[in-house]
Amino acid sequence: MLALLFILFAGLAVGCAIGVVAQRNPLYSAISLIGVFISLACLYVMLAAPFIAAVQVIVYAGAIMVLVVFVIMLLNVEEERRQRTHLGFLVPAAVILAAILIAEVSFIVASVERSPSTPTTNISDVGLSASIGSQLFTAYLLPFEITSILLLMAIVGAMTLARRIKEVPSGTRVIPGGQVLALNVVEPGIPLGNTTPVETRSTSEAAELLGLPDEHDPLKRD
Amino acid sequence: MDWQTIIDVVLKLVAIAVAFTVVLLIVAYTVLAERRVLGFIQGRLGPNRVGPGGMFQPFADLLKFILKEDIVPDKSTRFIYFLAPVITTMAALMTIIVYPFGPDTKVPFIDTPLPLVIARFDVALLYVLGVTSVGVYGIALAGWSSNNKYSLMGGLRSSAQMISYELALGLSLIGVILQAGTLDLQHIVELQSAWHGFGWFIFWFQPLGFIIYLISAIAETNRVPFDLPEAETELVAGFHTEYSAMKFALFFLAEYINMFTVSMLATTLFLGGWNVPFAEDIFGRGTFLFGLVSAIGFLAKVIFFLFVYIWLRGTLPRFRFDQLMNFGWKFLLPLALLNIFITATLIFLGIL
Repeated sequence: MLALLFILFAGLAVGCAIGVVAQRNPLYSAISLIGVFISLACLYVMLAAPFIAAVQVIVYAGAIMVLVVFVIMLLNVEEERRQRTHLGFLVPAAVILAAILIAEVSFIVASVERSPSTPTTNISDVGLSASIGSQLFTAYLLPFEITSILLLMAIVGAMTLARRIKEVPSGTRVIPGGQVLALNVVEPGIPLGNTTPVETRSTSEAAELLGLPDEHDPLKRD
Repeated sequence: MDWQTIIDVVLKLVAIAVAFTVVLLIVAYTVLAERRVLGFIQGRLGPNRVGPGGMFQPFADLLKFILKEDIVPDKSTRFIYFLAPVITTMAALMTIIVYPFGPDTKVPFIDTPLPLVIARFDVALLYVLGVTSVGVYGIALAGWSSNNKYSLMGGLRSSAQMISYELALGLSLIGVILQAGTLDLQHIVELQSAWHGFGWFIFWFQPLGFIIYLISAIAETNRVPFDLPEAETELVAGFHTEYSAMKFALFFLAEYINMFTVSMLATTLFLGGWNVPFAEDIFGRGTFLFGLVSAIGFLAKVIFFLFVYIWLRGTLPRFRFDQLMNFGWKFLLPLALLNIFITATLIFLGIL
């Protein structure tokens, strides 16, 4: 029974994985990847690790892939046209690496089959949420905290990269419609506190005076 | 495989069939109740022609959905267009199996007590969150594959909204998890049976968590006042604009099943699940009557939540999209973190 389920989910995982690279429509690839994650979660359940399975679905299928699908939908990516690729030396390298991988896997399978002690069949509580939690907060506390700091750094980095637009200097006013700028923007000699307005005619002119990159419309900030 | 396993599997399948039938029946009558209650709120009658008091209206609607012409837009992405309603409905239905409808109950003619929950396992709560998060795809993909601007807008709005409020929803549950110390829903319910069945977590000690959960759950199910993904005045019908006949019915069904499951989760975690005050003192634990009263109490609490949904729909106007996002990220999320902080501190001090 378990073997049957394993074959089902493993086949599903491999099939979806092939789909990820073989599909020409990027959205189909993304959906295949979701299929891979879900079938892997089913395999985790069969390995008596329900916590990992649930987290796999929540984090990968529920959060990360939603963002990927979101981006594909927003960018409206075209279907890829099939064309000859020039990979050069990568092809033999891939063949060699695949051969090494297959050799490793078959070695592991063979050594497991030949090992004298049969694995115990009783279900352990290693995969349960309580044991994982207590282990994470005692034995593996430092790696756990370091990982969370790493994630925090990634968030801060993303925020910084997304907010690259130069800040408008204080004492400057940009009013929608009128393109009214402070005097010291036009003539740098005047001190910052002076906010006598100067009128410009177009958005790009205002952007130029403010020293903003041209593609950013200063009116649409925020 | 021996006979015992086969009997167990068959029993589970029967349990699933019974639970799904009960839930779908209640869902069908929720639709009718919504139309009647909205009619009452707006000073009109609502559907009352089919059967006594409109009792057979859901079945008439179902027949209509089945018999209507199924129109598929010419420029749609076919496969995903068909897949989207299936994903939505499946994700909605799959969470039903973990909710405890009642305690283990002695049934006449059977020796062992019958569990009134289909699947009881360690990470039930995480399973609910995981399956719910997969449900986003149905809506997003439906919006994209219809090849319609309104649909796409609805789908994008919906995914943004569901991702944003999933955070607040998940964090609001953590208070309960901290207090209960388990993710097993049946165990969480049993922990709330103190004080003659009144030891609900909403009283002691998650009132804030309950409010955050309720608000974000309404946003998760795309209901008024958070129904921007299908705002009729702006987007025709949002992500399901291009869907007709049975495929539209699947989306419709999924929305109401989601309402039902979200209400079941609220009942289980905050309102004591199947705990009916003083039922244990009167009937005694494990008896058949106790099980019956508990199951009825559970369904009554869930139906109360469904009524709240309808009530809100008849009362509140819709949010603007930026208000929705600001509310979710800048108000609900910090509030949920505050709730976790308070709960953790109280547990650390030994008060809870």
